[in-house]
Amino acid sequence: MPMRFNSLAFRLFATAAAWTLVVLPLAGLIIYGLYRDDVQASFDGQLRKLVNAITVDSMSLGSVPEAPANLYEPLFEVTHSGWYWQITPLDEPEAHKLVSPSLATASLPSPAAKNVAPDPSGARWMDVMGPKGEPLRVVEVIDTLGHDPDKPRYSIVVAGPLDWLEYLVSNFRNRLTTALALAGIGLVAVTLFQVRFGLLPLRRIERGLANIRSGEADTLQGELPAEIEPLQFELNELIRSNQEIVDRARRHVGNLAHALKTPLAVITNEAREEKGGFGAKVAKQAQIMSDNVSHYLDRARMAARVNVIGRVTPVAPVIGPLVRTLPRIHHEKNVEISSECPPDAYFRGERQDLEEMLGNLLDNACKWARRNVDLSVEVSSDSGSAHRRRLTIRVSDDGPGVSEEQRATIAKRGMRLDETKAGSGLGLSIVTDLAQSYGGTCELGRGPKGGLSVCLQLPAA
Amino acid sequence: MRVLVVEDDKDLKRQLVAALSDSGYAVDSAGDGEEGYFLGDTEPYDIVILDLGLPKMDGISILELWRRSDRKMPVIILTARDRWSDKVAGMDAGADDYLAKPFHMEELLARVRAQVRRASGHAKSEIECGPLMLDTKTARVTCAGQEIKLTSHEYRLLAYLMHHNGRVVSRTELVEHLYEQDFDRDSNTIEVFIGRLRKKIPVDLIQTVRGLGYRLSDEPEQG
Repeated sequence: MPMRFNSLAFRLFATAAAWTLVVLPLAGLIIYGLYRDDVQASFDGQLRKLVNAITVDSMSLGSVPEAPANLYEPLFEVTHSGWYWQITPLDEPEAHKLVSPSLATASLPSPAAKNVAPDPSGARWMDVMGPKGEPLRVVEVIDTLGHDPDKPRYSIVVAGPLDWLEYLVSNFRNRLTTALALAGIGLVAVTLFQVRFGLLPLRRIERGLANIRSGEADTLQGELPAEIEPLQFELNELIRSNQEIVDRARRHVGNLAHALKTPLAVITNEAREEKGGFGAKVAKQAQIMSDNVSHYLDRARMAARVNVIGRVTPVAPVIGPLVRTLPRIHHEKNVEISSECPPDAYFRGERQDLEEMLGNLLDNACKWARRNVDLSVEVSSDSGSAHRRRLTIRVSDDGPGVSEEQRATIAKRGMRLDETKAGSGLGLSIVTDLAQSYGGTCELGRGPKGGLSVCLQLPAA
Repeated sequence: MRVLVVEDDKDLKRQLVAALSDSGYAVDSAGDGEEGYFLGDTEPYDIVILDLGLPKMDGISILELWRRSDRKMPVIILTARDRWSDKVAGMDAGADDYLAKPFHMEELLARVRAQVRRASGHAKSEIECGPLMLDTKTARVTCAGQEIKLTSHEYRLLAYLMHHNGRVVSRTELVEHLYEQDFDRDSNTIEVFIGRLRKKIPVDLIQTVRGLGYRLSDEPEQG
């Protein structure tokens, strides 16, 4: 699954990756600097040893300096090898000047002549260009023969090739960069894995909630990490209490219905027996009360159900009993109901609501039909998303049907609740209201056999 | 025709009994589930009007018990529970019709008539036998187009015979179906009313089948 910018995974990953990208180059720079200093110090140490050895070797005996007996460095013998030494008299310019064979006819500049200050040990250091134009590191010691302060001074210069040093350092730099880059990639990969693995329980919650929505589960199931366990518990409690509230509301509404309807029946019947104007008035008002009770009880039942998650109803088991029962209720007409319903048709909502919608539609169709009522259920699979699947339920009869104007009136009444007179007309207003409360539609049309055809669109699961 | 009303609301029960009696039915009533079940199980009713929410025993259980013990009389459920699941449950338990409260008494009476007719095998609301015609909707009997004035008891007797025309109906059956539970069954009222009816309709339509009972038929008497 791609990572979204606005996600926990991205936040965790981005902070870890940013930290890695900052820390690794910084560490690389520090390590590189330390190594470079170390290599330089070791190179300087080597030059220092060579200049000391040559000084001791050349300046200890005799009246003039002698070429060192020991080679110390074989490259002193190879012309323009980068490794040179040079002994120059300072006080007697015409005196003999000694140079390593590698220097041939060239000469090395003197740091002292360029006013380079000596270090605490008396050595002067300078980087210069060699006879070939190569960069050289030069160390100069000024000494007298046999360390006698009264004797003439000589400058002893030893040079080593800086490009060798550069080679060492750049070689190290390349290897260090490769190693750190690999470490960086590794760290980022581990972070990615860590984030995915760490957030896995959240994905499980996501799947669990989807299962509750689709009705495959009643609660959030499975073992979750200690940090999320309280969330799981609270969610399950919330779902349970939500369903309890709905069930309780339905029960109360049902009880209220029962409590009101019997006295209303008594009043209505009693008033009809009374032949005067008073009886007629009471009968009329009782009828209005009765209509309103039915009307608002239906709405109350509906309101009790709004936004309950996790209820899914298979359609076929709802259709079966209705198709079996309704012809018996309308036995005088010998109505036949033919129904077609795919086994995978599931309504995303309450069973009672689907029963009310289908019951009212079929009952209505049976009332008006001559002989036949047709019911068909289709699940639209064109839109790919599972959340957008829709149920199309068509109920049509072979009765007289209704005109276009009548259809418009019925539809209008259905849509505008407050103008609907409950219990009157075709009983479609509650169907329309229920369908709309689920984000569906209820449309009237002309059936293939000439009667009324009602098309219900509802969310499928 | 004998009707049983099982309803716990006293006022509604009284109204039902009055309306049904006025329409020519012999009516018994029960105010709770147990009494209702007992009456329906022991007495031969032509139709029962049954509430669902009853004290002591609920309507669905009563109906299921009756059907299990092969009590086949038509049952109309009269209840405030108007959800389709309730209707389906009621019909599945063995009801023949279902009427939700509040209701119009005329509608209930029409359904009662329809169920009684259906139970005795008549499809139309007019039942004919020779020149006699019974309009179950208006409770009027005509003979060759002329209306016959009948008392309530005469009407009950003739209506029962017409519903079961062509069949021999015993005196016991007539007593059981025409009178309420507390009627004195040893009296000879049936014979008295048969005699009166014979004076109002063509005399040979009600035939006496010796040792068995009476038969309403426009075919000549056998044997």
